[in-house]
Amino acid sequence: MNPPTAIVSAKGVVKRFGALTALDGVSLDIAPGEFFGLLGPNGAGKSTFMSLISGLRPIDAGTLNVDGEGVAAGSVQARRALGLVPQHIALYSELSAEANLRIFGELYGLKGARLKERVASLLEAVQLSDRRHDLVKEFSGGMQRRLNLAAALLHEPRLLLCDEPTVGVDPQSRNAIFDYLKELNRGGLTVIYSTHYMEEATRLCSRIGIIDHGKILAQGTIDELLSRLPFEEEIRFPASPETDALSSALSRFGEIATLDGVSRFRPTTGYPLSSFYTLTEGHGLPPRLFTSQRPTLEALFLQLTGRMLRE
Amino acid sequence: MHPILVLLRKDFAILLKDKVSIMITFAVPFAMIYLFGLIFNVNSTDAGPSGIPFAVVNQSDNPAAQRLVDALKAEKTFKVVTSYVIDKNTRRPLAEEDLRPLMRADEFRFALVIPKDLVRTDAIGLHLKTYSNPRNEIESQMVNGILQRTLFSNVPELLGQSLQSRARAEIGTARSERFNAAIASAVAREFGGDEGAIRARIDDGNFGFDRLGQGQAGTSSSPSGIRDVLSNIVKIDNVQVAGKDVKSPTATLLVGGWAIQFLLFAVTASATALFREKEHGIFQRVLSAPVTRSDILWSKFLYGICLGLIQLVTLFCAGQLLYKIDVASHLPLLALVCVFAAAACTSFGMLIAAISPTPESARGLSTFVIMLMSAIGGAWFPVSFMPEFIQRLSRLTLVFWSMEGFSQVLWAHASLMELLPTLGYLTLTTALIMGVSVWRFNKGRIFV
Repeated sequence: MNPPTAIVSAKGVVKRFGALTALDGVSLDIAPGEFFGLLGPNGAGKSTFMSLISGLRPIDAGTLNVDGEGVAAGSVQARRALGLVPQHIALYSELSAEANLRIFGELYGLKGARLKERVASLLEAVQLSDRRHDLVKEFSGGMQRRLNLAAALLHEPRLLLCDEPTVGVDPQSRNAIFDYLKELNRGGLTVIYSTHYMEEATRLCSRIGIIDHGKILAQGTIDELLSRLPFEEEIRFPASPETDALSSALSRFGEIATLDGVSRFRPTTGYPLSSFYTLTEGHGLPPRLFTSQRPTLEALFLQLTGRMLRE
Repeated sequence: MHPILVLLRKDFAILLKDKVSIMITFAVPFAMIYLFGLIFNVNSTDAGPSGIPFAVVNQSDNPAAQRLVDALKAEKTFKVVTSYVIDKNTRRPLAEEDLRPLMRADEFRFALVIPKDLVRTDAIGLHLKTYSNPRNEIESQMVNGILQRTLFSNVPELLGQSLQSRARAEIGTARSERFNAAIASAVAREFGGDEGAIRARIDDGNFGFDRLGQGQAGTSSSPSGIRDVLSNIVKIDNVQVAGKDVKSPTATLLVGGWAIQFLLFAVTASATALFREKEHGIFQRVLSAPVTRSDILWSKFLYGICLGLIQLVTLFCAGQLLYKIDVASHLPLLALVCVFAAAACTSFGMLIAAISPTPESARGLSTFVIMLMSAIGGAWFPVSFMPEFIQRLSRLTLVFWSMEGFSQVLWAHASLMELLPTLGYLTLTTALIMGVSVWRFNKGRIFV
């Protein structure tokens, strides 16, 4: 039973493009005020799901409601409830920042003093007030991304869809965007944030859905998701001829994988770390080679799919 | 391999993958060469335009007048009209009073009236009357030239008849006949031949004027010399049905033709900007707002009309400054035609954007079709110069009907009622093309 308060409610949503099933029975509920992450590799179906929520494409099966309205019918109420930050810089690059915001504000029916106030307020929020008359094409990538975000907020939506909004952004602008999104979320805005960066999802989202090949593989808070892993620690060390023998020995006590020249050992639950260090000493390997850390969503994705997120 | 050769090979490899470039490099010029070849009858020994509608009203009972009509009918340049069609099964001989309304309706632009007093008795010479709507100067000069050639090449005896008639009026029939008999007798005696036959030819006015222009070998015809002589003794009254006060008909066509051609380029570029908006994800953002696909398409359509109206009126105003085209006096109707022409052009641009898979292919296709339409639609040279089947095709182009509208307003000073058929055609074209475009846009992937 869906919670009656869900701002987005998907039940068995299917979307096909010819022979390709882009979304295969996606079901999830997102409550008002949540910062929900949709985490998956490229081509997993994240953007397709975003486009369905924003009413750009019809669903082929299932039900999908936004703010209590079926988006398939192109409900005006559903559209007014959401703001979309597309993956691309969806702005008129030949126009100024202010002109862009005015156009998108007017499309949502804003006018007069209200429009002027919202444009000024958002330019201030994304730190572009002093560049308001400059052409968008003259902006840096980070500035364009910030304006791209502002354009989705003019009409004060209840739900913000961010489809990989930080692609190609410098770290400073990325942090600015993250801080602003956090602030908006604290103010009550529901955010759905799609990304293939595990770090972004971990940093921002209160709840995450892991998606691959059009299916939601797991969803929950980070703690809930990580608790599904059969290990609590991940120990990393360089993969080299000197550590080959250790890797072979460790395979009896847990899972071992190598990626980018780094071996990752995930011990089975209950395996004492003291035994691990005894083993490394036995192979004559110094402790400085080894780092131990809490497993990440990357590990969960690997566990669920047998692939790394970036593959 | 030398770097130059490697880079050369690379350029060819890229070219071979770029179908649009190949089309613009080879197919477009080939099509233009072929089309121009057809227009100028390059492969034909019988060069020149054909099938120009030409009305003839024969009021004379002189047999030579009918021969003149037959000679005009045999002239491939003209499509001679001698009947007035009342309905499908009923027609009557064309009368002089039919000419003006039919010419204003552009059924034909040239007409010849052979009056009862074709052979004049009050002076030596012939009397003919022409009606013309010379909205294209090149066309009308050509028609006049061919009319004179036909007249003097085929019925020179008319001039002889004129001399005989004048002689009878001056010296009396009896003395005139005695004079002819004496001449025939003298010719037969001195040069040989049958006196009766010579007398009959003299009575008919057949003095051999047609041989005056022949060369020594008697094989090459040089009608220009005789024309120069005879044109002074043929009195042709010309009635200009339209455009008498138009200072520069050529400029009217020039400005209209090039304006409509570049309007097509402009609105097509505007419509193909849809691709760029798609690539930038702008449709994704706009359509997530309370905006429909129809809103996007109609806004583009209206933009095209506004752009077209401004561009066309501006260019015609420039024509007024440069060539004294009288735009100001006809501005309201001209603006109306511009709106309808711009709508048709915009719908064309939308169609190109709707049926093309990529912006590159849209650019290639539009270049090809716009140049083709401009050529056969009359933007570059008169439609009447083209083969008849191309003339029929030209009526399917919006360039033709736009130019027709401009001419009606600026040349014929047509009223709103007279413009309605042209505006109706442009509206029909617009509706049809827009219908297909919207259907294709909704079926296509430009919005998703």
